[in-house]
Amino acid sequence: MATLPRLRRGRVLQATFGCNPNSSSLGVDVTFLLFGAMLASALAVVLGALLRRDTAR
Amino acid sequence: MKVARLRAERFGGIVELSSPRALLHVDKQMMRELGESRSPLWELPEEGPLSAPREVHVVLSRRCAAGCRGCYVDATPQGAALPFEDACRILDELAAMRVFHVALGGGEALELDYLFAVAEHARAVGITPNLTTSGLGLDETAAGRCRVFGQINVSVDGVGAAYAQARGFDGFRHAERALRLLRAVKKEVGINCVVSRSSFPHVPEVARLVRRLKLNELELLRFKPVGRGASLQEELTPQQSRELYPMARGLIWKHRIRVKLDCSFAPMVFWHRPSRAAAAFFGVQGCVGGDVLAAVQPEGAFTGCSFTAQAAADARVPGAMQAAWPSGFGEFRDFVESAPEPCASCEYLQLCRGGCRAVSAAHGAFMAPDPGCPRVQEFRRARSLPIV
Repeated sequence: MATLPRLRRGRVLQATFGCNPNSSSLGVDVTFLLFGAMLASALAVVLGALLRRDTAR
Repeated sequence: MKVARLRAERFGGIVELSSPRALLHVDKQMMRELGESRSPLWELPEEGPLSAPREVHVVLSRRCAAGCRGCYVDATPQGAALPFEDACRILDELAAMRVFHVALGGGEALELDYLFAVAEHARAVGITPNLTTSGLGLDETAAGRCRVFGQINVSVDGVGAAYAQARGFDGFRHAERALRLLRAVKKEVGINCVVSRSSFPHVPEVARLVRRLKLNELELLRFKPVGRGASLQEELTPQQSRELYPMARGLIWKHRIRVKLDCSFAPMVFWHRPSRAAAAFFGVQGCVGGDVLAAVQPEGAFTGCSFTAQAAADARVPGAMQAAWPSGFGEFRDFVESAPEPCASCEYLQLCRGGCRAVSAAHGAFMAPDPGCPRVQEFRRARSLPIV
């Protein structure tokens, strides 16, 4: 049986949390940076899934 | 998770979440899944500036009674202010450009009797207003009205005597009181701490204060030799520059607090070779002036960031910001393509973008590598060139 082409799902490329109140320059969050690329990859998948779920509702 | 709005970009788009508060960059396919079927921007090459800044720093005034010795906007009690009508009209135009956030500051924005009206106008046109304040003169009534803001940070460059040493006047008690009043009415309250040569050893005390008052973030800002700060010898030493990121990491672990660094600290982070993928995902970047962010000065200048004076337009002229944005700010946007050594061969160039242009400009060359970068300092040391 021929398999149907699988549609590529959309991806989250970047996530910045909170708001920057600083009137002089952009605040970059180094807290998450400590957990490295593994957390980034996992979070991209989770955020993508949550976005889809909330859009489907 | 609550999606507030979408904005198409060349690479796909930006999704604003209102809960949790976040901005997500997503690809085109995700935009389609979210209901945005097409955008003319998707026909353009993916590399390029954003369609508009994500956030704009509106320097409402150069008016402040505190007279801090290192004030980067050179604020005085009689300094210039952006009139209320101009501020509202500028916010209308930023809303039309689909800017997400504004950071209101000064000077001391709380000294303006129309600050809250400006913030309410920002909310009315769909922009989240955020605020930086010294907290001086903040009372319970004003603290209650601060609910209109998203994030509010109070400037605290040291605790107790270290505050007076850093700022030139004894205002710590006022700042701490302001933090308590604000924290009583909202959770999104943090501290901005300027890290200078003399305040560097006192940063851990500020981190303890963040923990003690249950604040939601500590934002460490690099001292920049501009405004009144130009005459001070307060830039970080090479050793402090190397120790900054390990110190920030230590404070996160020790106090379980969120620590943010301003974009000018990017070289000090990347010198420690963190994961590039993680840095890209969490938006850890160097100079994003004239791209992710822009600024409006009290005199109306539309600039790449609030530390530079070079204007792309007069923001008070209707339509001028929108017209200037697509092709303006080349001096910021072109750095990566024309970066000199040692930036050109740095594996973090795309993220770091050469560090802080304002600091480079303060040292005489806007397009030169950031002289505070440890890699740049090593490069110069190897060639027996002077080091900041």
